[in-house]
Amino acid sequence: MDVPKGEEARQSSSGLQFHLHPLVLINISDHATRIRATSGGPSGEVRVLGCLLGQQAGRVVDISNSFELRHELTADGSVMLDDAFLTKKLEQYKQTFAHLDVVGWYASGAAVQETDILIHRRVMAMNESPVFLLMNIKPRQAQKDLPVLLYETELHSVEGMPQFVFVQSKYNVETSEAERIGINQVAKVLPSGNDKGTDQLTAHFTSLHAALMMLTGRLTLLHGLLSKMAAGEVAYDHAIVQQAASLVRRLPAVKTLCFKGDFFTEYSDAMLTVLMTSVTMGAHAVNDIVDKVSIAYDKSRRRGLM
Amino acid sequence: MAEDAGAAQRRWELENELAQPQDAVADSYYHYDLAEQQQLQREKPWSKDPHYFKRVHISALALLKMAMHAKSGGNIEVMGMLQGKVVGQAFIVVDAFALPVEGTETRVNAQTEAYEYMVDFAETTKLSGRLENMVGWYHSHPGYGCWLSGIDCQTQMTQQMFQEPFLALVIDPHRTIAAGKVELGAFRTYPQNYKPPDEPASEYQTIPLEKIEDFGVHCKSYYALEVDYFKSSLDAALLDTLWNKYWVNTLAASPLLATRALGTGQLTDIAAKMEASDQQMATSGRAARFAGALDKKSGAGEAQLAKVCRDAAKFAVEQVKGLSCQVVKDLVFNRPVLPSVRATHAPAVAAHGPGDSAPMET
Repeated sequence: MDVPKGEEARQSSSGLQFHLHPLVLINISDHATRIRATSGGPSGEVRVLGCLLGQQAGRVVDISNSFELRHELTADGSVMLDDAFLTKKLEQYKQTFAHLDVVGWYASGAAVQETDILIHRRVMAMNESPVFLLMNIKPRQAQKDLPVLLYETELHSVEGMPQFVFVQSKYNVETSEAERIGINQVAKVLPSGNDKGTDQLTAHFTSLHAALMMLTGRLTLLHGLLSKMAAGEVAYDHAIVQQAASLVRRLPAVKTLCFKGDFFTEYSDAMLTVLMTSVTMGAHAVNDIVDKVSIAYDKSRRRGLM
Repeated sequence: MAEDAGAAQRRWELENELAQPQDAVADSYYHYDLAEQQQLQREKPWSKDPHYFKRVHISALALLKMAMHAKSGGNIEVMGMLQGKVVGQAFIVVDAFALPVEGTETRVNAQTEAYEYMVDFAETTKLSGRLENMVGWYHSHPGYGCWLSGIDCQTQMTQQMFQEPFLALVIDPHRTIAAGKVELGAFRTYPQNYKPPDEPASEYQTIPLEKIEDFGVHCKSYYALEVDYFKSSLDAALLDTLWNKYWVNTLAASPLLATRALGTGQLTDIAAKMEASDQQMATSGRAARFAGALDKKSGAGEAQLAKVCRDAAKFAVEQVKGLSCQVVKDLVFNRPVLPSVRATHAPAVAAHGPGDSAPMET
């Protein structure tokens, strides 16, 4: 991502972990799309702003929801937030999602703007160290990473004056179970009526397979890199090798007897349900046949007929 | 090297391909024409035909919001409103928001304070550029399927009288997890004294025994709409790149553990239904057979057994699905690292060997 100043490319050192939920991304995307649709034509480049909601537990910040903000551009190009609107929205969200607090704010655009620090200060009134999420709503084709950047601020002295500057922080994409299923469904646009067992199973296996392929791909890549390092073709990167080694040392992941037992129990349980289902179906089939037989060879009826 | 990753991505894209041409159409769903909607409001084409609305298009955003809200309620029913518009004979749901109401089956009902909240919230979203009006409501049925209960029917009927066009969505968060897809149904009720011309074969679903009576009494007073989902082109682009970070979650999920309670519940339910059908067959079935007239009446017992079979089959499929996750993970991550391989290469590289060959074999 192109960052204008070298200073802003600095990585955050706060040690906070950020967990970003896809709902937030979709929400921002929806906001941008909606503004684009209502303001007429894709040419109308309007910046959208909003507030990020989430929870902080220890060093982990969970960004799980967001809402839109209203803002106006003043004559000198700075941004005026609609404070009354913000407060009201916040109250409304407090009523339905009481556990969520303001953790930061978001904006669309390709790069951090000069005035952003002013908005950031405004958000600081609600959270001491908010995060700023920047989403590029015109992602380039074939981009591998999400067009999303997270920034924190740090106090630095610039030309003798203490000043807040944006520093980039890393984030992970986190999903709750319901969210994951929702995303899967939307991403693949499964027809909802598709409830048949086999179709469901196929879909499940396909996504499992895709995930495994991805894992294999990553590992092959790593393997290739490491072989090249071993052969001396590429500079020996201690950090990468160390990480790879620690990864490998973790395998096999769980090898306690306890896990084996539990796994086996679960396995048997599932197999048992399958077996019982077949028994039930068998019983049904037998019942069917018995009924048919008793129709065909019903003595009383035959006697009646004759 | 990265070919496999590319292939996986392509496969994923291929699966998505069906949706690609729709994106342009989907983007138009986001445009709101006030005049057009007002015109529709005046004409009320839906008042002539009780079966007027046929389809529902739900945006990715609304789907996610509803699924997560329903899940956050746990075993408690939650409720919210839908925002959107009407195009032709279809509803388009662009957004949803939660209401501060929760309760058990009997209490999911918009009360005064919720009503105030609703109006208030709709006002503020309008200010932020969301122009669509409310077109319906949703609520959750944790663990007992997507259908309208008697009270839901009442609520929906009242809304349809005064708030047209109005739609009811029901979402089951527990079954969503078990089935690996969002379990959701869209419904509209018929007017009070309307008799549906022919019984449309609605999708079969599992309903717990204690609720089946409520379902049976009211199931003819509403009909289900076809549901599909759409996403904007920006959503699609985001989702595409999301997969790069996100495939881990597919592997990390263990649906079997997450739905243990539901599984036990379903099993008990199947057992109870078996018992019921057994009794029915013992009394009516055999009596009929002795009487020499095996007519349609004893078919009820059989049909019930067939239903139990379907419930059981569905449950078994879910179990197999959950188990397959575990087995695959066990194969990939729990295989012992073979010392023979380790010896042949330099340590760091070699120890990696079995690790990455495992997924290829599976």
